[in-house]
Amino acid sequence: MKKIAFVASAVLSTATLLATAACTGGAPGTGSEDVKQDTSGQQEIRYMIGQPEDPADLELIKSDLKTFETKNPGITVKLDVIPSENVRTVLQTQLRSGQGPDVFGYDTGPGFAGALAKAGLVYDLTKAYADKKWPIYDFAKKRVTFDGKIVGVPSQIEEVGVFYNKTLFAKYGIAEPKNLTELTAAAEKLKQNNVVPFAVSDKEGWQGGHLLSMSLSSAVGSKGMDDLLNGRTSWNTQPVVDSLAVWKDWNDKKLLTPSPTAVSYDNANALFYSGKAAMNPTGSWLALDIERNAKFDVGFIPFPAKDGAGIFSGGLGSGTFVSASTTKADASIKFLDYLLTPEHGRWAAEKLQDIPAYPIDTNGMTASPLFKQVLDDSAKIADGTGDFGYNIDVLTTDVFNNAMWKGIQGILSGQGDAAKVAAQLQSAYEKSAK
Amino acid sequence: MGAVSNVPAVTRRAQARLGILLALPVAIVTAVFFVFPMANALYYSVVDFDGLDPTPPFVGLRNFTEMFTDPATWHALGNNAIWIAIGTAAPMIIGLLVAVLIWSGRGGATYRLLFFLPFMLPGVAIGIVWGWIYDPVNGWINRVLNAIGLDGLSRGWLGDPKTAIFAVLATAIWATCGFVTMIILSALRNVDVELVDAARIDGANAGQRLWHILLPQIMPVFLMVLTLTLVGGFSVFDIIFIMTGGGPADATEVLGTYAYSSAFQLNRISYGTVLALLITVLAVPFTIMLNRLQRRLSLQGLGA
Repeated sequence: MKKIAFVASAVLSTATLLATAACTGGAPGTGSEDVKQDTSGQQEIRYMIGQPEDPADLELIKSDLKTFETKNPGITVKLDVIPSENVRTVLQTQLRSGQGPDVFGYDTGPGFAGALAKAGLVYDLTKAYADKKWPIYDFAKKRVTFDGKIVGVPSQIEEVGVFYNKTLFAKYGIAEPKNLTELTAAAEKLKQNNVVPFAVSDKEGWQGGHLLSMSLSSAVGSKGMDDLLNGRTSWNTQPVVDSLAVWKDWNDKKLLTPSPTAVSYDNANALFYSGKAAMNPTGSWLALDIERNAKFDVGFIPFPAKDGAGIFSGGLGSGTFVSASTTKADASIKFLDYLLTPEHGRWAAEKLQDIPAYPIDTNGMTASPLFKQVLDDSAKIADGTGDFGYNIDVLTTDVFNNAMWKGIQGILSGQGDAAKVAAQLQSAYEKSAK
Repeated sequence: MGAVSNVPAVTRRAQARLGILLALPVAIVTAVFFVFPMANALYYSVVDFDGLDPTPPFVGLRNFTEMFTDPATWHALGNNAIWIAIGTAAPMIIGLLVAVLIWSGRGGATYRLLFFLPFMLPGVAIGIVWGWIYDPVNGWINRVLNAIGLDGLSRGWLGDPKTAIFAVLATAIWATCGFVTMIILSALRNVDVELVDAARIDGANAGQRLWHILLPQIMPVFLMVLTLTLVGGFSVFDIIFIMTGGGPADATEVLGTYAYSSAFQLNRISYGTVLALLITVLAVPFTIMLNRLQRRLSLQGLGA
């Protein structure tokens, strides 16, 4: 009898616990209109961002927040800085629990902001866009629009290409490469002179997406990239295989950093800054760090195509979003409004080398030749006059990105070949589309 | 039909209340730190939770089926097996030998401190520093190899799938040996030295004395350390995550890192939970078995 009572009690307890557990799925914001708003005179909004690479940038951001507070008495901003690699997990957990930040920086792709929008965790800014007439470029607005709702403010335009050490190129009599053959020849000449040709890192894995974005965009052009990203062309085709094979071929010829999958992004950049490596294939977000660290002239070119100069992979980086469960929606929108003023855009470009996703007046702006070039190129992305490829990982799903990152790590560590990885990419694309 | 108690009913109730009161803290701790998380994990294992959807759909045993048919699980499990075998045996053997050397008078406080130091360092710091040591361009391992003419052996230790898991494992062994040494050294203090001396007089060599005299006497402590090291092998995560992130291309993936990447990088919380449950299911029987063995030896009066 006692045994039966014990078993019954255990079953009941377990059932209760399971039921309780079932209720712990979180309490995300149920929609911006449903949340009771705080109407007090003095409000504090919590603003969460990932830790900037350079501590100097954080100080600049803090001073910018002070400027906002001065211009908007009654609103204070509490800055919450967390390690960039933790943003995703921390943010998702906080938003689901209803304890998230009011405003936060996050990536704009479907695997990031898109997923939050799908779960109803981000504030619908469509009305704010209409009211405030925010001048965001159309292409950028599309990247933060999900199911017809605009859920964020795109923060910056980025382009991916090849930074190169002009001094080293001049020293070894190498001209700026105009096609893929010239780039390979330049790399081989640098290697003969004991210089690492390309500072390629892939320890973290995400860099592989940029490598493919570069070689593929130049190989197939913007239309070809559109076709691949929209499923009109298979990823298991020769141009994709060839674009992957370029990196395998260069790795086999030892034109990249030794064992790139063991080299971190920071270490590869350090090789470039120190002059031990001559080229750094990465994004325009590194321009400011290059300016601060490199003691030589730096050029920035698109990854070349077989038969020409190639095109930059361009697009949108991160964005700023408001939590669906914020009780300070008006103050949060005022903050976004501040971030979108022409003065702030110019400040961000000058101080942080962020390229806003809205027009800014660059007349008389203090900018290095390198950043001026990036700025001019980006303007062509924005107004649609330039031909740009895409940075793949901000437009694809987690499943696809995972296959791409691991596939390229496999190529660079001798575990896979280009054809196999291309097939995996197509398989991941199909899986994502389901 | 139990015997009728002579204790008055009021006293019995008071005793029962006291009993409940005394058991309550343990019951609460067990519920909060074991029962509730386990129930939560079981719930998440039978739904398809992406980390965001507040009402994830019920999928029954689909996550479990997928796990057992997923080649990545078996690959990760294989790496766990390598980790458990080498990562348990090496620190136990090295730790035992070092402890015996120090105990037998060949090392003082300096050696103790030297061997224990790695265990005091945070795992993250160890991972970062050893990452520099293994760096293919500036790491000192390759520099030393190049300097002594063995440049053919230099490589990207963490980027080469043939060496990556062993390179991380070597770091973990370095970090664990100090702990094993210190615990075994403490146990050796209670060893009956007369037995050792008698064995020596009888002609037993150092190996025989260790195997037949010392080891049986410290066996419960040895088993306790073995249990901790072994279970650590099932649940290893931090050092691999810091040094390789499970890469290159899954070469160093273990169940812990695979569970993490499934849950937090692919937003498959449920699948990650199922993998975490697998770690528990594999680790618990070993822990129970070794604990029972340890208790039995203690009850038999063996060991320190």
